[in-house]
Amino acid sequence: MSEATFMGVPRHRIDWSPRIDYAKCNDCMECVQFCPHQVFEVREDATPKLIVKTPENCVVFCRACAKTCGVDALSFPDKNQTTARIKEIRQELTRL
Amino acid sequence: MSTQRPVAILPCNGLYKAAGGVTREVAMELAEQTGGEILCPVFYRVADARYNRLAAERPLVVLDGCPTRCASKLAAEKGLKVAQKLTVTEEAKKRGIELADSLRLDETGRGLAKALAAALLEAAAAESAGPSVAPAGFPEHFDYETYRKDKFLFRLPKNTGFFFTENDFWVFVNGSRARVGLTDFLQQSLSDVLFVTLPPVGSAVEQFGELGSVESAKAVSEVIAPVSGKVVAVNEALTTAPERINQNPYEQGWIAEVELTDFAQDRELLLDFAGYFPVLKRKVDEFHV
Repeated sequence: MSEATFMGVPRHRIDWSPRIDYAKCNDCMECVQFCPHQVFEVREDATPKLIVKTPENCVVFCRACAKTCGVDALSFPDKNQTTARIKEIRQELTRL
Repeated sequence: MSTQRPVAILPCNGLYKAAGGVTREVAMELAEQTGGEILCPVFYRVADARYNRLAAERPLVVLDGCPTRCASKLAAEKGLKVAQKLTVTEEAKKRGIELADSLRLDETGRGLAKALAAALLEAAAAESAGPSVAPAGFPEHFDYETYRKDKFLFRLPKNTGFFFTENDFWVFVNGSRARVGLTDFLQQSLSDVLFVTLPPVGSAVEQFGELGSVESAKAVSEVIAPVSGKVVAVNEALTTAPERINQNPYEQGWIAEVELTDFAQDRELLLDFAGYFPVLKRKVDEFHV
């Protein structure tokens, strides 16, 4: 997946993935069941049990897992800043 | 609002969180005001014949307390058609209301319940007053390219004016007006659409912002706006017939129309047919392995 891109920008250069607020997370794993892209990982005997394992699998601008979260423990980066950053990187790439 | 048709109301159980308690209160308010009937979610689990009949005969209002959406999931499981729905925590956030932790409703909780019941009744009344859709220069004839994989067939319109995002939404642009929807690929990945939340007419949306949501038995999926602008029309038909999205997401299944604010800017992050078709093919190949 190293060659994955979004709008021509290498996916790993776009900072878009869920942030987990561990003060709120109750390990219900609704988000894990919901997300079809293997963004999360459940570690049975570790603390914290839930981590964001592969952020670059997260669909850019998708925030759907946050909606399944009953305790509102998931958040995402600012959309406008992310859009602006993607445009910047695209400009850089065309100049090369 | 005594002229209102009696509704069937499916609240969540309301014994898990304060927000759930609010759904019980909203349910009672709606039942009283419309002569409607409440479907008890616990009883529904053990005996469903009467409730199935009630839900089929009357407009169904589904009330979720929190985003765990127990009531919605029960409705999906029973195959019910939903006329109206809300999630209390979202509504509280919109109104800037902080709910107490206690299961017993306080003044704030009761006030919110009253306001939500009133809003639901008002929305139902507005809808029965008639839709207000004004299509703007949309193509009469769609020219589709298709991509087939096993038994799945994916359509993509080739007409000039169509653009796509890598998130699988389309926009058809005609002057300063645009129509937005889901692509065939996204529609098929979601499977049967059971409920559509349309964006409010008059609201402003930014590119990649939220333009309502689409809910299938599997999940809630945001409609991610391919363009920025002001919502000028929505496809009201989807509220009673969400399956139109599955039938054809480009024609009868469109979501909203937007008055564009800066299409030149938006265009930078959009693909035309030639740009998106290979993306679609790649996604289909990766999806059905």
